[in-house]
Formats: sequence, C-alpha cells, structure tokens
Amino acid sequence: MNIVEVQDLVKKYPAFELKDVSFGLESGRITGFIGRNGAGKTTTIKAMLNLIHPDSGDVRYFGSPLLKSEADIKKRIGYSTGTVSWYPRKRIRDIVSIVKRFYDTWDEAAYRKYLDLFALDEMKTPLELSEGMKVKLNLLLALSHRSEVLILDEPTSGLDPFSRNELLEIFEDLKKEGVAVFFSTHIISDIEKCADDIIYISKGRIVAAMDKDAFIRQYSEEGETLEETMLRLEGGVDHD
Amino acid sequence: MTNALLKEMKLSASILSYLFIAFGLMFLVPGYPILCGAFFVSLGLFQSFQWAREANDIVFSSLLPIAKRDVVVAKYLFVCMIEGCGIILMGISVILRMTVFADSDIYRSNALMNANLFALGVAFVIFGIFNWIFVGGFFKTAYKFAGPFVRFIIVAFVIIFLAEAVHHVPGLEFMNAFGTDHMGSQLISLAAGVLIYMALTILSCRKACKDFEEIDL
Repeated sequence: MNIVEVQDLVKKYPAFELKDVSFGLESGRITGFIGRNGAGKTTTIKAMLNLIHPDSGDVRYFGSPLLKSEADIKKRIGYSTGTVSWYPRKRIRDIVSIVKRFYDTWDEAAYRKYLDLFALDEMKTPLELSEGMKVKLNLLLALSHRSEVLILDEPTSGLDPFSRNELLEIFEDLKKEGVAVFFSTHIISDIEKCADDIIYISKGRIVAAMDKDAFIRQYSEEGETLEETMLRLEGGVDHD
Repeated sequence: MTNALLKEMKLSASILSYLFIAFGLMFLVPGYPILCGAFFVSLGLFQSFQWAREANDIVFSSLLPIAKRDVVVAKYLFVCMIEGCGIILMGISVILRMTVFADSDIYRSNALMNANLFALGVAFVIFGIFNWIFVGGFFKTAYKFAGPFVRFIIVAFVIIFLAEAVHHVPGLEFMNAFGTDHMGSQLISLAAGVLIYMALTILSCRKACKDFEEIDL
C-alpha cells in the first residue's frame, strides 16, 4: 500500500510545465527519482512539501491530503532540499536546539550517531562547512526524528564517493526499518546501487514509475548499463 | 506556535530588533519628535526581516512541521512582541511625564508634542501601519521588502508630522495635555489607537496568511 500518493500534479511556468505527475511510494522501499537537470525533479519535490502551489493535483501522505494535515504530516516525514543555505552564522548546536523542539519523535541517540558518522562539529556554523558537509547537516536534521518517509532532493550531489556510499548504506538500514526513502538524483550509479523502484521524469512528465528490475527489462537493451539506458532514453524522449 | 515564536526569537531575529526597543524611551526626550521612537522600534524590526531573508529563514520555516500559515502568524507574533516591549517603555515614559515630571519646566517649555496618552495612541497607530504596510507587504512575495518599507517610512512620517501639528489647531489643544488634564479625551485617543492597531494587525495577518499560501518558494 502506498503511504505517499502524488496525483496529477500540474504546475505551469512560462518556460516549463509539470504535466500530470503521478506516482506512489511504499513503506520499506527505496525509490530513485531520476531525470536530467531541469526535468522537474525539484519542482515535484517542492510540490510534495507544499513549498510551491500546484495549479492542480493532490499530494497525500498516510491517506491524508497534505494541505489538510500539513503540520502532522511534516512531523512524520524527513526532507532535505539540497545543501543547507540557512542561518549561515548560527552554530549547528543552536539550530538543532530549535529544530528538535518541533518533533515529539526527536531521537537524540540517532542524532548523535549521525553527527559522529558525518563527522560534524556542533560548534561550527553552516558558513564554516564545505558544500558536502552542508548536505550532511541537512541529512542529519532529516534523519534524527524517526521519519516514516524520507524525501531528499539530490542528497548525494557534492558528496565524496565514500560519503555517498555511507549514505546509500544508511538508506538500506532505513529501508529495513520500514522507512520509505525517496531521493532525486542525476547520478545513475546511486540508483543502480540501492533503488528498488525508479521514477523517471523527463521534460516535466513521468515517463516511467516502476520496480527497478521491471524498468531494466522494459527499457534496457542487452548488455546496457542503467546509465547507458538513461542516456539513450534521454536522447530519444519526445513529448511534443 | 510557542516553538515557532521561539524560533523567530532565537534564529530569525536580528539583535538590533531587541536593542532598538530602547528607542521607546525617546518618549522621555524633551524637544524631540518623540514618535520617532516608534519609527526606530520599527526600524529594528526591519533589520530582522533583512537578516532573516539573508538566512533563507522563510524556506527553513516552511520546511518545519507547522502549517504554512503558522510561519506567517509566528512572524506577526514576534513583531507584536517587540512592538509591545516598545510600547511598555513608551508607556512607562508617559506615566513618568504625566506624574513625576508633570510640572517639570523642561517638559512644560517643550515646543514639540508632549508625551501623553494621545502620543501613545499614535505610537500604536504607527505600529499598526508598520504591520499593515511593511509586514503585510513583505508576505506578498516573502522576499521583497524595500518597497513596503519605503511606503511605511512615508506614511509613518506623515502621521508623525500630523500628530506634532494637530494640537496647534484651535480646539484640539487637549491633544498636547500635560499631566492628567483632559483625561477623558486622552483615554479615548489611546483606545482609538489601540483599536486601529488591532484592526490593522489582524486584517494584515489574515491577508498575509492568504498571500503566503499562494507563494511559490
């Protein structure tokens, strides 16, 4: 059963349009949201978080519409949208001390675990962090309150290969705990390594939303890697 | 809402918003347009909006587990809290000038507006105008604040000028009352100021919630 339902999202901009985007996410599965830059990944994720106002369509979590139970739903999901770009001169400790007050389910042990794992210093400010460490700080906040759904926009971008691997292992652990992990990326190898499902978006339209193996069976030619398949598909997709 | 307000106070606020509350004490300064104190408290609040925009505070707040409208309400609560602190200092100053310093030569010979309940009522109006024009204007985009602040400055100084001038109009001398003179009129002008403040703030907050809901961040 889907715990997240995105139905017929439409958002029109002068130079871009999100067209009838629909898909679902299940508990205990890792879903890779894939597409080239400008395909509509971030727009979709922003609509899923009520950061943008879709022209039409609906987003439901745990069976409830996002707009009707926004606060309750956001307590049960974790999200990270790129690198941290807020409060550059505030100490991480001070930012966290405020953030954790919003979550009844804040898990201090998990917070400490990821703080150590990501080698983050609480006394530093976001301004003192590299781009990769900023991504980790964002992930730290998303991972520390026992989320049932994790929505991450390009979480592996800017991370070194070791950190990316660590993060993908964290996804696997969360999956075992029944968390639905949804992450966007244009790094195909990340999808290849850990995703159970693939949602492929191109030019604002969902081209495929299915199990990874089914995707490979349907779209890959013999001997092709997933990356080669995607490159070929991107060359051939036409929505006009 | 308590957490959202705490977030405003600890993460979003500029230290200048707190420091500029002290300008409420300008109500004690003789020979000075005392209502500028209300303007300076508003200027301190403006610094918080500037600081918050640089820190991407609105997006951060929108990602917290609160409804989008609560982001707006928390901002208004913070603004009202700072304005309330400014009003307290102005109120203390007014009470001192109405009682202890009621017969002080330096205040009696003051060519400008006297600090009384009418002045306090006008300070409420200036804060109401700030909430209506600036805070409400900011939430139309959640980004642009220069235009709303310039509009607020113009309106605020027109109000200050009128308030300074009005007691020179024959029949309206009571607006510059000393001590407990014309207490009834003073209390009515204060009550009118409070009502205008409440009406402007509530209407502005409601509209800002609606505007902010429509904004794409």
